[in-house]
Amino acid sequence: MEQVNTESLSRESSGAFVFQSRPNCSQTHAQERLAFRGLAALCLGTAIGFAGMGYWLVLPFEGLVIGLLIWARAVRHGHESDYESLTIEGDMVVLEWRMGNQSGHRQMNRQWVRVACDCTVPGRSCRLCVSSHGRETEVGHYLSDEARLQLAATLRSKLQA
Amino acid sequence: MSDAAHAHPGHHTHPTGIMRWLTTTNHKDIGTMYLWFALIMLFSAGSMALLIRTELFQPGLQLVHPDFFNQLTTMHGLIMIFGAIMPAFTGFANWQVPLMLGAPDMAFPRLNNWSFWLLPAAGLMLMSSFLLPGGAAAGGWTMYPPLFIQGGISYDLTILAVHIMGLSSIMGSINIITTILNMRAPGLTLMKMPMFCWTWLITAYLLIATMPVLAGAVTMLLTDRNFGTHFFNAAGGGDPVMFQHIFWFFGHPEVYILILPAFGIVSQIIPTFSRKPLFGYASMVYATASIAILSFIVWAHHMFAVGMPVAAQLFFMFSTMLIAVPTGVKVFNWVATMWKGSLTFETPMLFAIAFVCLFTIGGFSGLVLAMAPVDIQLQDTYYVVAHFHYVLVSGALFSIFAGIYYWLPKWTGHMYDERLGKLHFWLSVIGMNIVFFPMHFLGLAGMPRRIPDYALQFTEFNQIATVGAFIFGFSQLIFLTVVLKTIRGGAKAPARVWEGAEGLEWTVPSPAPYHTFEVAPVLSK
Repeated sequence: MEQVNTESLSRESSGAFVFQSRPNCSQTHAQERLAFRGLAALCLGTAIGFAGMGYWLVLPFEGLVIGLLIWARAVRHGHESDYESLTIEGDMVVLEWRMGNQSGHRQMNRQWVRVACDCTVPGRSCRLCVSSHGRETEVGHYLSDEARLQLAATLRSKLQA
Repeated sequence: MSDAAHAHPGHHTHPTGIMRWLTTTNHKDIGTMYLWFALIMLFSAGSMALLIRTELFQPGLQLVHPDFFNQLTTMHGLIMIFGAIMPAFTGFANWQVPLMLGAPDMAFPRLNNWSFWLLPAAGLMLMSSFLLPGGAAAGGWTMYPPLFIQGGISYDLTILAVHIMGLSSIMGSINIITTILNMRAPGLTLMKMPMFCWTWLITAYLLIATMPVLAGAVTMLLTDRNFGTHFFNAAGGGDPVMFQHIFWFFGHPEVYILILPAFGIVSQIIPTFSRKPLFGYASMVYATASIAILSFIVWAHHMFAVGMPVAAQLFFMFSTMLIAVPTGVKVFNWVATMWKGSLTFETPMLFAIAFVCLFTIGGFSGLVLAMAPVDIQLQDTYYVVAHFHYVLVSGALFSIFAGIYYWLPKWTGHMYDERLGKLHFWLSVIGMNIVFFPMHFLGLAGMPRRIPDYALQFTEFNQIATVGAFIFGFSQLIFLTVVLKTIRGGAKAPARVWEGAEGLEWTVPSPAPYHTFEVAPVLSK
């Protein structure tokens, strides 16, 4: 549900190639808590004020707004630890990912891994997958088409090296 | 990263044709739909205004039945506010906020789709209420009881439409707040954000604080009408004046909901065409926040004539005048930005300068009305009509025109026709002043608002206003021509459309690609 922005990192570490990518998040926990509590307090204060004067029908609508805020917060929390990583070390290719409440881990033999990057239009709407043993796994969800093509080229060269 | 079977749905392919627009979660598509919806509503409610002005060309009743006249004034107000101005600004927010922040989309794209698609349903309800027995609601856009308790089925429909539009606004606001707070590119701190994002962030807070209050108020009207409650029904011990208090607790912040995004647009345009950074950025942010906070404590200046203790009158009078301080800071900063700048006068800049000058006139007439003794004389006269049209036409609407001319090349990839743009500007400015400036005199002479007939002494100024209304109204067809022409073709627009433009939105090609900033840009300074 939540649209995310990316921070990605490719590096070589003691002979291993590591690609990591995760959504960009510009708000700290404390800031997020402050924003949520501030908005909820504003809604609650207004609702209590009017309800106290007998105009209680403002209450359910303020409740609805607080409900929407709680939902928005839950969605944000659900995605805050999203990430994807791909490591090539020795003969092993290791994929790890977490997306909302789904997470996964896959190990493949480097010799059998294939990289495919299909674009519906040249250079646009590209889908990058690594496959092995008839099973395909998509990589680079948080990347732009350009970055996906670049990653595909890097992976191919690392796998052949 | 995921197995192909669990890949992001619709990430790489998107439907075409009507399904693209019905199911889209792309902020640019949704922004475009908001802007088209707002334009259609602008023309609908504008046609109502022309009918009103035609009826008022001469004293006496000539064209429409008085009850239909009241329906026109009510629907003109409701549709302009909830159907044209607010959706237009939300359209700008959808297009520009992610581009300005370096975000790939809004935080909740599906919620964004729902927020938009609620609007046409509500707009259709409002428009179709003319066809119901008894016609559309005729109690004024403020929906005051007892009129709004006594009307026919169209009043219920209007209340439902207001509910739906309110829900749409709240969902949009949560989306905008989350996007601005959580999806800024690394390095883009709050105090480095473009002013447009700041003004929308504060507007979104205002919407969340006030929309549920309006929803509660109109629901109480609904239960008074249909379920025998007596919240506002004096016959049952209710208090109709309390509705006014609750309504204006929403209604006055609503004025700032309609104008703060306009401040944001103008604050983007003036530095671009002055080729200087915005003067006093921090003071602009604090002034915007101050205006928003003060807007919660001034509501009763709309109700001086209702009767309230002198102490309350004084409080609301002085608190209202206090708003002139942060507003003055803003006007000063815009002028200071232009001061000694390398100014050029393309259409967006012309509309922005007109905004500064004419909105200030609206602000000054607001100060006049803030004085309780004066307001009691001018309450419900054409002076009030002149005041709020100077704020909302030369303020909100002109900023929308300015923003569209400013960003249209970025959206379409083509430059607009500058000659037609300037023609549109001059006819709009001249027309607008011919319509609304004489209304000050009519109001000072005592002509009441919301009446289809008037005393002979008001004839000349009314005729001038009607001529101006037709100039202003029909000049908007030029605007439509410019927009359509720009979409269809024209000179190719570069990525940085304007020489003096700064910001992330000018780093992407024109037209902005369907997906932008999937990788967050890092700001170095």
